[in-house]
Amino acid sequence: MPPLMGIEFLCRVADVLADYLGGLNEDQIKDNFVIVYELLDEMIDNGFPLTTEPNILREMIAAPNIVSKMLSVVTGNSSNVNETLPAATALCVPWRTSDPKYANNEVYVDLVEEMDAIINRDGTLVKCEIYGEVQVNSHLSGLPDLTLSFANPSILDDVRFHPCVRYRPWESHQILSFVPPDGQFRLMSYRVKKLKSIPLYLKPQLTSDAGTCRLSLLVGMRNDPGKTIDSIDVQFQLPPCISNADLSSNCGTVNILSNKTCSWIIGRIPKDKAPSLSGTLVLESGLQRLHVFPTFQLRFRIMGIALSGLQIDKLDLKNLPHRPYKGFRALTRAGHYEVRA
Amino acid sequence: MAPPAQSQRSPSPSQPSGKGEVSDLKSQLRQLAGSRAPGVDDSKRDLFKKVISYMTVGIDVSSVFGEMVMCSATSDIVLKKMCYLYVGNYAKVNPDLALLTINFLQRDCKDEDPMIRGLALRSLCSLRVANLVEYLVGPLGSSLKDSNSYVRMVAVIGVLKLYHISAATCIDADFPAMLKHLLLNDPDTQVIANCLATLQEIWTLEASISEEASREREALISKPIIYYFLNRMKEFSEWAQSLVLELVAKYVPSDSNEIFDIMNLLEDRLQHANGAVVLATIKLFLQLTLSMTDVHQQVYERIKAPLLTLVSSGSPEQSFAVLSHLHLLVMRAPILFSSDYKHFYCQYNEPFYVKKLKLEMLTAVANESNTYEIVTELCEYAANVDIPMARESIRAVGKIALQQYDVNAIVDRLLQFLEMEKDYVTAETLVLVKDLLRKYPQWSQDCIAVVGNISSNNVQEPKAKAALIWMLGEYSQDMHDAPYILESLIENWEDEHSSEVRLHLLTAVMKCFFKRPPETQKALGDALAAGLADFHQDVHDRALLYYRLLQYNVTVAERVVNPPKQAVSVFADTQSSEIKDRIFDEFNSLSVVYQKPSYMFTDKEHRGPFEFSDELGNLSIGVDAADTVVPAQQVDANDKDLLLSTSEKEDGRALSSNGHMPAASLAIDDLLGLGLSVTAAPAPAPSPPSLSLNPKAVLDPGTFQQKWRQLPISLTQEFSVSPQGIAALISPQALLRHMQGDSVHCIASGGQSPNFKFFFFAQKAEESSNFLVECIINTSTAKAHVKIKADDQSMSQTFSTLFQSALSKFGVQ
Repeated sequence: MPPLMGIEFLCRVADVLADYLGGLNEDQIKDNFVIVYELLDEMIDNGFPLTTEPNILREMIAAPNIVSKMLSVVTGNSSNVNETLPAATALCVPWRTSDPKYANNEVYVDLVEEMDAIINRDGTLVKCEIYGEVQVNSHLSGLPDLTLSFANPSILDDVRFHPCVRYRPWESHQILSFVPPDGQFRLMSYRVKKLKSIPLYLKPQLTSDAGTCRLSLLVGMRNDPGKTIDSIDVQFQLPPCISNADLSSNCGTVNILSNKTCSWIIGRIPKDKAPSLSGTLVLESGLQRLHVFPTFQLRFRIMGIALSGLQIDKLDLKNLPHRPYKGFRALTRAGHYEVRA
Repeated sequence: MAPPAQSQRSPSPSQPSGKGEVSDLKSQLRQLAGSRAPGVDDSKRDLFKKVISYMTVGIDVSSVFGEMVMCSATSDIVLKKMCYLYVGNYAKVNPDLALLTINFLQRDCKDEDPMIRGLALRSLCSLRVANLVEYLVGPLGSSLKDSNSYVRMVAVIGVLKLYHISAATCIDADFPAMLKHLLLNDPDTQVIANCLATLQEIWTLEASISEEASREREALISKPIIYYFLNRMKEFSEWAQSLVLELVAKYVPSDSNEIFDIMNLLEDRLQHANGAVVLATIKLFLQLTLSMTDVHQQVYERIKAPLLTLVSSGSPEQSFAVLSHLHLLVMRAPILFSSDYKHFYCQYNEPFYVKKLKLEMLTAVANESNTYEIVTELCEYAANVDIPMARESIRAVGKIALQQYDVNAIVDRLLQFLEMEKDYVTAETLVLVKDLLRKYPQWSQDCIAVVGNISSNNVQEPKAKAALIWMLGEYSQDMHDAPYILESLIENWEDEHSSEVRLHLLTAVMKCFFKRPPETQKALGDALAAGLADFHQDVHDRALLYYRLLQYNVTVAERVVNPPKQAVSVFADTQSSEIKDRIFDEFNSLSVVYQKPSYMFTDKEHRGPFEFSDELGNLSIGVDAADTVVPAQQVDANDKDLLLSTSEKEDGRALSSNGHMPAASLAIDDLLGLGLSVTAAPAPAPSPPSLSLNPKAVLDPGTFQQKWRQLPISLTQEFSVSPQGIAALISPQALLRHMQGDSVHCIASGGQSPNFKFFFFAQKAEESSNFLVECIINTSTAKAHVKIKADDQSMSQTFSTLFQSALSKFGVQ
């Protein structure tokens, strides 16, 4: 048994169920046993994975959403299963609904990047890389043929494609040529490694002496990305040997949870001052100095920019009756972004 | 889908449990059963939903079986689905009632709507009631010819289900042949993929009893079928692709052009979004290029990036599975990944199992160029909040130290750990320092100075305490307070709960006594007294042994307890390379994740299809059987050797004129007392066919490796090695030259004293039939362990005799 087959399949089942039920937890499954059974029935038989494409499943089994409920009231047909088998199963483009029709043709391309970084206490960058995805949301009629090209594809380290991407054009010209599935999907994922610049810095200072420890944290912008950085927060786990902590900050809120997790929510960096947090930690009796140090995890979000520097050059659409609307967005957020003390 | 077996779970408030509700349902269903009123389907559906949710949370609703079947006459597809589900779940416990459902299921199998046909057939096959199989054959047969691919797809899997209920029915109905036809002709790829999966399973299970099935199984990996699959690769679904790739990995291409064609065709699969496809492709590439060393290295280069991407994207479970595979590759080619070590740095939020594997990777890729940075990184973890992680990273530092790179800097780091004054850090470090000293005694001065400062009161964990005590005993001459520390430990003998620590204490105080008798005498007396009174058997016995040894003769006791030691070169718990190779053969399977070959965790009947690897169990039985008939036949065989036919003599002369020992005359040597081993020599064949070897045989290492994996072991033998042989083995080259003189060539050798490993090969003089030999010689136990594999199994006995006598002249008997 190939282990990844099992894991990938389970992830896919979870995705599909979450998609259908609008979330995934025990209660939602209990309320929708029948749908869950129907889906599983189509997805796996006697241990062999069958259909896992959301588009095809959606044609075979309708989601329990408001639209289908409305529809059933109006038409009097209350079945949530389509009468006919999806035509796409017989089509050469298995991921696409047979023949969708839209009044407004639109396609959105999002670059979503996550930055993973490890920064040492002296501010040196141990490791920094970006994991990114090109997410496409397509509402296009007929069987459109799309070509997407980047201004600087050479920075990409390793890429993985949705099955719809044709391999040869990428191989020869680094162009993504594909017939998109309908709706939201991940066209491509990529990795960019060995990045040199990080948007935010965090300077921790820990000095301990005679049973107490002074902690101070300073957060600030390192290389201004040109867009606002928001949703900044810092989380860290206090060492178990600390019996009491008193922390305060000059902006944002500080919370210490019962499991000794401390979170400092900053939001945006104010213009006039640099956010800082300081306070004292009281060590357990008998300990003079602190020997274990927390790792600070930073989270942030930057709208409008892909920090890897990847840029979309252009998107061409063929095989379409009308001029569609094209939208592009970019977003970078922190993945595992941590600073050691 | 079968819901879980009845589990006791508290149902949610909306799903009350109890008999009352079930009988309520029963009467309501009964009312609806006959009704044809409009809207009846809606109320039925509500009731069915209730039944299904009861069933799922584990309430037994089998009592409404009859009513459910009665209500099943409906055109509503959701109702049908729920009904099928219910029937599938309870048919097994109600085989009599299940008969009731056959009728409506069979009718639905002929429905106009292909979806209903498919669903009905799936339910029909899922009943799994043995006495209903006769009703399955008809619908299955017609569904396999259905015009709709959905129905065919279900039918193919249905055949497999039928096979598992009743293999005979399935074979008699000639379903495998029908599937084979579909496999090669169906337009729908999902049907083909299901056929492949089903046929693989059926033929593998049948292969043991039917010649034909095993032939069919082999035919699946023939060139035309493989190419048929390869050409349609992109049409398959991602799951089917992984299945097909697994199959292709078993195919042996005829030449290197074919290999390159396949790899070019499949290269883009490495970029697939599905990790299962990527990994299956990687397996295929690795298998294909095994015999081409250069290309194999290029494959490593090529697969590196996709694997590293798989690690950093996706769920932690996925990272773990991919990391296990990377770990295996790193062990085979550490240099390749040595510049990518930063990928294996741990992130704080990762689950522990991923971090632990990453630490193993870091130790595996450490070499001269990156050790410093890796160890610096590991030291960061050691100071981290996460205690299990800190322990693991200290162990990792130790492992790197034992790999011999930049030991100097690492020893300093380890000693710094001891100064951190954290109990668990100290404990782990002590254990490591002990292992380090066993391998590098030259570091004792530095380590002892620091270890001496540790108060034994601060060390509580048994392993660490035992390590500390070992060091006190071993280096008592350099550690000023050693006797006194030991003495105080012995005073607290009663409080020491771990027998391991008490055993170490006994030995340490003995060693200390030999070096500093006056200071230790009292402690030794106390220790022996306490040990003799100990309730633990081992402790008692060891104390008694020491006591009697001392009584007999103190110098002898010293020779026994504290002989001069050789530094340890390889620790015994290191995994053998053979096991690693075997795991590599099972790439892209759970073997890699568990880090053990499949035979260690599966029963024989659950082995995967197409298992080429030899089965250890069978082999040892074969050898035992041969052993029992040895003495009588051996004499017989030797007699026959004397009566050589002239042609054989000529062969021998031809060879000897080339300056090589003739094969046949060797047996005469034996009669002269130079000695075949009597203990473990297997019986030669009654009339051994003559065998002469090609003195200029050639075989490239890749082919050797491939053959070694594919061929079963023909023979295993054990010989003893004479003292002269051991002496000669000081340079292993001597054995190689000697064997070459007998037309047995060495392809690879390795190992350090006392374990040497040699791979030999030989070829028949007139044809290219190969013999492969693995010979492991342990000079300390004076044993040689030989495994022989041969292209031509019938000749392996003869070859073994020849090989053995060649060895015997070297002093291995």
